[in-house]
Amino acid sequence: MKVKIWGARGSVPSPGPETVRYGGNTSCVEVTLSDGTVIALDAGTGIRSMGLALGVEGRRISMLLTHLHMDHIQGLMFFAPAFSPSAEIEIWGPEAPDASLRDRIARYISAPLSPVEVRELPCHVSFNEAPHTEWRIGSATVRAASVTHRGPTLGYRITEGDASLCYIPDHEPALGANLEQDEQEWISGFDLAQGASLLLHDGQYTNEEYSQRVGWGHSKLSDALMFGRRVGAERLMLCHHDPLHSDDFLDAFHGAALERWVELGGEPARLEFASERRELTVDRVPRAPVRPS
Amino acid sequence: MANEQRPVELILARNLIATLSTPGFLVDEEGMVVFFNDAASVLLGVRFEEVGQMGPNEWGTAFGPFDENGNQVPLEELPLTIALRHGRAAHARYTIRSLKGPENAIEAAALPILTVAGTRGAMVFFWTTEDA
Repeated sequence: MKVKIWGARGSVPSPGPETVRYGGNTSCVEVTLSDGTVIALDAGTGIRSMGLALGVEGRRISMLLTHLHMDHIQGLMFFAPAFSPSAEIEIWGPEAPDASLRDRIARYISAPLSPVEVRELPCHVSFNEAPHTEWRIGSATVRAASVTHRGPTLGYRITEGDASLCYIPDHEPALGANLEQDEQEWISGFDLAQGASLLLHDGQYTNEEYSQRVGWGHSKLSDALMFGRRVGAERLMLCHHDPLHSDDFLDAFHGAALERWVELGGEPARLEFASERRELTVDRVPRAPVRPS
Repeated sequence: MANEQRPVELILARNLIATLSTPGFLVDEEGMVVFFNDAASVLLGVRFEEVGQMGPNEWGTAFGPFDENGNQVPLEELPLTIALRHGRAAHARYTIRSLKGPENAIEAAALPILTVAGTRGAMVFFWTTEDA
């Protein structure tokens, strides 16, 4: 399974000279399975570049939306395959009590916010509420689960062979909870992320910022790291960077994260901050042999 | 062996109840008491950590509730049962017994936790009638 980050920023696009290395585009991750199947995780502004790179002819693309906040769907209107009659796009997203996924997305892809309507998109598009049980996309199995964020929000786990990718870019598992001490059944997203080969997780706030943003649906650094350690993820990549965090700030933030990660028993090489255009292969990381005591 | 992952709605409800000073407990969709808070433990005479999850029969034997004649209130008449089975709020007055001995006259209100995936459980809040 190959992964490419097209958008690592949270909340709002943040272009500019101070964000060129980590990138200013909002949430989007491309996953390519071994059989060639392409999955887009979220459709923030990063998906515009992903669409251009893919090309449009005869593509079949699965899109897994965690939720419908603008930073996760804004790029949909600028995703080139959506405007190709030969492209087939299946969109999955969270169920909600008030309207279907199609109708909720149409609130964005309709006047006055958009010049075209969903029904006018030239591609073959389908909208599917994510099921409560595993389903298959290409050569992978996919699982979705509701996680702690504002409004209906999913995390996803994609498993292919021994490798698994867990994607929870908007997540506040520590809201009213103690991640260090609570039983795992009571921690949002635990089952989804447990033992993942790669966990892509919300790491938006510093601990100081978080104190002013409790309940906004995002994690402070120390909670993201504790969650990553607690679920036993083999690699942790923090994403959904705050729009106020410049490249220099994120470099320093990464340094602080590594210190805490090591204190929690993590290996430095297994913690990373997501940056735009970063590509990696998700494989099961061999465990170090256990030495007899 | 860990229990199965709880639905996020139940996790959020537990987190809320844990922070409140109003006595409250949480039941899952099967009616199992999966959490009660410290304020409830004052009236029940025991902390949740000491007893853990309890089924409806176990709970009834330990704490009641009881009607004005001292009879245990049937399960189907309990506010939490109404909330779970009928998906609506319910309210009642009765007596519960603390494991430390004293009985308390209480009012209880149960609220179902309804989601797009169905009923996830219910929250039950209660208070002594002297406080009402």
